[in-house]
Amino acid sequence: MGNRSEIKKIDTLQSVELGDGVEILLRVAGPYVRSMALIIDYLIILGILILLGIATSFISIGANENIADGIMMISLFLLSWGYFAFFEGGKRSATPGKRSMGIRVIDRSGNAASRGQVFVRNILRYVDMLPGVPTGAAGIFIGGYGVGLTTCFLSKKFQRVGDFVANTVVVYDKPVDQMKASIPPALKKLAPPIALTREEQAAIVSFRERAGLWSEARRVELADHAAAITNAQGQLGKTRLLEMAHWLTEGK
Amino acid sequence: MNANQFEAKNAEKWRHYDASMQSLEKGRADDQTDVAEIPKMVRERCIELSIARHRMYGQSMCEFLNQQVIRGHKMMARRSSSFVETALYFLAVGFPQAIRREWKLFVLCWAFFLIPAIGMWVSIYYDLDWVRSILGSDGMAGMDEMYGKGDNSKVSDFRGETGANFMMFSHYIHNNIGIDFQIIAGGALAGVGSLFILLMNGLGIGGSMAYVIEYGDPVKFFTFVSGHASYELTGMVVAGMAGMRIGLGILNPGRMTRGRALLESGKLGLPLIFGAFFLTFIAACVEGFWSAHDFAPNLKYAVGFAGWIALAIYFIFAGRGKREA
Repeated sequence: MGNRSEIKKIDTLQSVELGDGVEILLRVAGPYVRSMALIIDYLIILGILILLGIATSFISIGANENIADGIMMISLFLLSWGYFAFFEGGKRSATPGKRSMGIRVIDRSGNAASRGQVFVRNILRYVDMLPGVPTGAAGIFIGGYGVGLTTCFLSKKFQRVGDFVANTVVVYDKPVDQMKASIPPALKKLAPPIALTREEQAAIVSFRERAGLWSEARRVELADHAAAITNAQGQLGKTRLLEMAHWLTEGK
Repeated sequence: MNANQFEAKNAEKWRHYDASMQSLEKGRADDQTDVAEIPKMVRERCIELSIARHRMYGQSMCEFLNQQVIRGHKMMARRSSSFVETALYFLAVGFPQAIRREWKLFVLCWAFFLIPAIGMWVSIYYDLDWVRSILGSDGMAGMDEMYGKGDNSKVSDFRGETGANFMMFSHYIHNNIGIDFQIIAGGALAGVGSLFILLMNGLGIGGSMAYVIEYGDPVKFFTFVSGHASYELTGMVVAGMAGMRIGLGILNPGRMTRGRALLESGKLGLPLIFGAFFLTFIAACVEGFWSAHDFAPNLKYAVGFAGWIALAIYFIFAGRGKREA
């Protein structure tokens, strides 16, 4: 197995130490889920614009064209620069799109992001949008998010330029459903032949916890990787591994 | 003690905690929730999380306690200062302090705006082509229309229509603050974007001014722009400073890593961003509701001059000796 400390974990868990001295794990949201949230947000903005267009055309017919134009331009400004900052600076730290995808914006320390941070990350959205398509008269600038996507992939915490400058990350708000299906515990307990590290013990226990998700052949195949401690291949190896899991959780 | 025993022992506490958190997350504590107990409860979850991790009570319990700690932390680490108070303190102290702290960038950004502007002005006495190439035929026709000689129409005539002032105010908010924010965002491209937009604005504004002075009616032009020029131009320059502050985090990180420097420069640039917004907002108000009024030119020049003096006094003297915002 080589040197254990060299094994790098590949996951999106971000450990953060709180003032209370305890470490919490935040699950950083990746570009895919964030793009989905973004698309929802743009659809909402589009909907608002359509409603506004209808409303202001009534105003311009019924009352005054200048006032209608004025309302439209203020709204365009507020939507293009204020929509994201308003919602992300609010109590839920998420735009409607982000909320629907179950993600929110926080400071990298795990605290809520301040209004200032949210403001900065959303002004710099303009750079993250590059290369973009200026939509001219519409005033709303919808870009290709090439810069944002590139920096997301280059950074460990999926941060775009705005996130870097504002020191924020986007994380999942709700726990991800752990797929779990234990199979009935083994009939006897078996102590592992050597002292195992904590990670190895955890791996064996979660093998049992998730074994119900796999077919018998898959269980055997996975158990074969642990042949070094079970001293057996195939069915027998799997049974021994489950017995060790039983020993680790119940016995000792 | 195994995982099930641990869970059974604490189940009652967790239920209580969950109920308290739910009522707090709705916005206000209900009768069963004792707010003074919350910090203690959150710390208990912290300890239980450490214990569960250490004893390896399995993924699901650790994940559950992890979520409970995050939940409690979210409640405890909330900001509580009032928005109005923060904003007023920022305007009275934080913003002028930030300008004084970044005076070198202040000078740099003014230079990047003024040198091209003055250059355009001087160039018109030698060769009209410079101005012509910047303004283009449409731009020149527009300037003729608005500030041309001989024509007796005034800016205030158009503004006589109902709602026209409001419409122009909205236009200035949308357009000018939008440009400011683009300047700031351009700073993230190593400052190049900020300086480029400043420079282009310098060329454009200098060219228009020179063209009107030479071929148009300068009184019309200056009575219109004098009122808001101070706030608007300074707002644009402050936006340039904010952009450069961010850009310098990339260009000149000093002894920090680039990532760290970028983050610090974001913090330092924040007051400048708010300040640029504030100044340009004032400019839009003045431009929308004052500049087009048909008052005597001398009054309008005086108001414009007073604006510059007020800004200078504000930047030099406001918020001295106060603790840093």
